[in-house]
Amino acid sequence: MRKKWKALLPAMAVIAFAAAGCGGDEGSGASSDVSVGLVYDIGGRGDQSFNDAAAAGIERAAAELGITFTEASPNDDGSNRGELLQLGADAHNLVIAVGFLFEGDAAKVGAANPETSFAVIDSSMIDWAQDPPAPYGEKIAGLVFAEQQGSFLVGAAAALKSTTGTVGFIGGVRGVGGLIEKFEAGYIAGAKAVNPDIKILSEYITEAPNFDGFNAPDRAKDIALAMYEGGADIVYHAAGGSGAGLFEAAKTQSEASGAKVWGIGVDSDQYNTVDPAVQEYVLTSMLKRVDVAVFEAVKAQIDGTLVGGETRYDLAVDGVGYSTSGGFIDDIAEKLEEFKAQIIDGTIVVPTDPTQA
Amino acid sequence: MRRVTALPAWLRWPLYAGVGIFVLTLVETLDDTDRLTSASASQSMLRWGVPVLLAGLGGLFAERAGVVNIGLEGMMILGTWFGAWGAVNYGPWVGLLTGIGGGALGGLLHAVATVLFGVDHIISGVAINILAPGITRFLASEIFTGYPGGSITQSPRVPGVGHFTFPVLAGGEVGGWLSPNLLGSLGDRDWFFVSNVANLARGLLTQVSLVTIVALALVPLSTWLLWRTRFGLRLRICGEHPVAGEAQGIDVYRYKITAVTMSGGFAGLAGAFIASPELSGIYLEGQTTGRGFIGLAALIFGNWHPVGVLGGALLFGYPFGLGLRDLGGTASHSLLLVNAVALAAIAAWSLSKGRRTNAAVACVLAVVAAAWYLLSETVPDWWVNILPFAIVLLVLVFFAQRLRMPAADGQRYRRGEH
Repeated sequence: MRKKWKALLPAMAVIAFAAAGCGGDEGSGASSDVSVGLVYDIGGRGDQSFNDAAAAGIERAAAELGITFTEASPNDDGSNRGELLQLGADAHNLVIAVGFLFEGDAAKVGAANPETSFAVIDSSMIDWAQDPPAPYGEKIAGLVFAEQQGSFLVGAAAALKSTTGTVGFIGGVRGVGGLIEKFEAGYIAGAKAVNPDIKILSEYITEAPNFDGFNAPDRAKDIALAMYEGGADIVYHAAGGSGAGLFEAAKTQSEASGAKVWGIGVDSDQYNTVDPAVQEYVLTSMLKRVDVAVFEAVKAQIDGTLVGGETRYDLAVDGVGYSTSGGFIDDIAEKLEEFKAQIIDGTIVVPTDPTQA
Repeated sequence: MRRVTALPAWLRWPLYAGVGIFVLTLVETLDDTDRLTSASASQSMLRWGVPVLLAGLGGLFAERAGVVNIGLEGMMILGTWFGAWGAVNYGPWVGLLTGIGGGALGGLLHAVATVLFGVDHIISGVAINILAPGITRFLASEIFTGYPGGSITQSPRVPGVGHFTFPVLAGGEVGGWLSPNLLGSLGDRDWFFVSNVANLARGLLTQVSLVTIVALALVPLSTWLLWRTRFGLRLRICGEHPVAGEAQGIDVYRYKITAVTMSGGFAGLAGAFIASPELSGIYLEGQTTGRGFIGLAALIFGNWHPVGVLGGALLFGYPFGLGLRDLGGTASHSLLLVNAVALAAIAAWSLSKGRRTNAAVACVLAVVAAAWYLLSETVPDWWVNILPFAIVLLVLVFFAQRLRMPAADGQRYRRGEH
């Protein structure tokens, strides 16, 4: 029995290969043999942020490209990430992992499953230990975003809307491979592009490897209040779940002082995800289009163009951007679009290091 | 020294606080800042101290009855979920009650495991710490995902119970009449020490959450309950010498189970407080960030006494709140000098007790803190973040010899075995 089964394998591989080839020929047709295993970050669907954006991307891919997919999400300490990736690799030709915390596991599981493609959101999937640094594998893609470009635009929006000449930035965790620092750098550069004399208060909630900073709305609230009391009237956060505390603080401060202060959201359009009671304090949000990245990764898999290592989603491909919900920044939209065009054509190069902003 | 320790507790603690504020005032004058003794400093001290205080009181009841409760963190997590759930559906006061109930369920589980089944206290506690986030994750996925704005990791916005500003002293309103603000005007005078005390006191009396008032009232209430009632005496016997209690006809199991369930209730209230808008205004997975364990540290610092637990909680809350509001790290830089002074005092005290090694270590640390203070302008963020924990650790190291835990704390007790 066993032998027969083995003899069949090459034939099956040929069939599978041909089928995949067919899918490629059809391009973005209505059906495809590509199947995707989507592994969420902790929390899974319904987090109104990252995971939901990934879910939107995969559903669009299912509807437009005709792929099939399964979903999984890690337990709450994230200790089974590697197993979930392997589970995805067993049954699918593309495994998408949502979040930089998958980097190590994806590199390992990817090496053990060379036939399967992997795509990790928010990690470049480049092995910096090699000389020169090289991708972990030919089929291990890292989907990263030019967060600094989106942050530049909301930084410019903050400077344009600020009446006090002071704005603030709250980062979740310092030292996660410079990830959150990119937000800070772009924000500072954007604010200074509008007003070179602007004062920017900048704080991080915790330092890696302490990731509490992404789950501490209470601390974010205190920091934001201190910034508002220190003269800032607009504060931008890149702190995940802690951001709820920022909008809470904006409401508290606005009601106590009578002068309206604002918060700026991150990743998703937070005007639509926060509680209606604090909605009016969300000036704009820096959008990180995880849905676009997921969709494009699936499309690349179908077309056979998925490459190992870093793929960057920037303003030019609408991988990042800013939201206009609420209509609070309609009056400065023209200026922001100008900045956007200048970043896309390279007139403005946005720094990724806060010390150079 | 002997004379001071002979003072009654109600005089001794204010005296310690007075000395502490005096040192802060001195450092402030030297450093030309007003952060250390501002009203917002004491306000955030209270806000960050309350969850630790409640967790510590929870630990107090369990350990006074002889059960180590390392599961406080888990019970606090249950409190955040149940507190948010109750507050979202039935209003903030009900939220506090459901938070207490959720924590008490965790406490009851710990009690049944340790008291009835004789499970090791640490193992049961750790199990609860692992179990609780799983339970809340499950409950959130079943219930919060159906709410607008809710998800598997978070709740909708949680309403709060409101605030109270004391009239006359801090200028609160009484029936539309804006009372004078005595402490405020005293604080504005710039009188050395007097104005500083007034400012700190004003912070404690301005915009105080009603939950905070309840939490603070629990300190004298716990003292009274444990040391002035028959229930308290019997409960403490269970922690000191359960066999003697049994010989007196006390149902030791019942007292232990009651105490540990109450313990969970305290931790649950702490969790509900964290989820309330006083701190977070939302239930968010992972938001307790280890404050149950800090509560245990406050319990040990406080030598298993409610007033001491309050002291420990505030000692943690002060640098924590100050660090958060300290943009740029200048106030924390001033705190370095306070640390140096405190360590020097500890060195002198240790020497007077004949503990030379302790004195030498404290002396070295004092010099390091002083040198760091003199050689730098600001302190890095990581120092601001670890300072509250470092202070608690140092205090435990230097005062460990003075501490006395309940004699049968953490021991397995079986009815009729002796």
